[in-house]
Amino acid sequence: MRRYESVIILEPDMSEEDVRKFTDRYSQLIRTNNGEVIKIEDLGSRRLAYTVKRKDRGRYILLDYVGGPAVLKELERRLKISEDVMKFLSVKTADVVDLEAFKAQPEARPAEEPVKEAAAETPSESEAVDEEALKEEAQAESAGIREAQVPEEAVSSPAGVSDSGENSEASAAENRDKEGE
Amino acid sequence: MMAARPPRRRYYTRSKLCRFCADASLQIDYKDSDTLRSFITERGKIIPRRITGNCAKHQRHLTNAIKRARNIALLPFTVPRR
Repeated sequence: MRRYESVIILEPDMSEEDVRKFTDRYSQLIRTNNGEVIKIEDLGSRRLAYTVKRKDRGRYILLDYVGGPAVLKELERRLKISEDVMKFLSVKTADVVDLEAFKAQPEARPAEEPVKEAAAETPSESEAVDEEALKEEAQAESAGIREAQVPEEAVSSPAGVSDSGENSEASAAENRDKEGE
Repeated sequence: MMAARPPRRRYYTRSKLCRFCADASLQIDYKDSDTLRSFITERGKIIPRRITGNCAKHQRHLTNAIKRARNIALLPFTVPRR
């Protein structure tokens, strides 16, 4: 058994109900193929970095599941056929997975998860930033790393008088110049 | 010596330490487009590790993550000029 993760981009103008139907249909499909859904996460509607099917927004759904290669094959086949799916990407996250370990956990999990995830997302992200900042401070004491790192993280750097904010942009611009030659 | 150099170049301070090694809690995830975005140029190209200071291992993971993110339209393949 392997663990897979599929990110699916749905049409942006699908109704909530349709989205739910869609996820239900595919979790059903995984189960009938002897797989198990670990979680389904709605990442919400996002701007796309480039247009897909002439649309510049998309609804992102993350499907995390366990199953054999056959599950993936069937899932991808269906995704390709489906009109609602604009694009998808499947990634294998673990090669050997003990399916029983996931089944042993309470069944309510998949249903509960999306709400929790959405609520927990913002605090955890800020925490990560805080930790990062703390660690940086600790390291900066021993070496002059702080000066080197700050400009990349936040633009408010103490380094230059005239072009303090330009650091990251300047290096990018330089790259471009080189490319042009 | 200092005066001979163009003033623009002098202020390039950059990280010589891999950010992902320094902070174990910072995971490379292809779905985390905000973090990945700091490792691509405005034109969408992956910034070489000689600039970012990443270690080889993390640069490799990062490259894969960026390419995956491009595939699901979280990051651009290219950004057209103007």
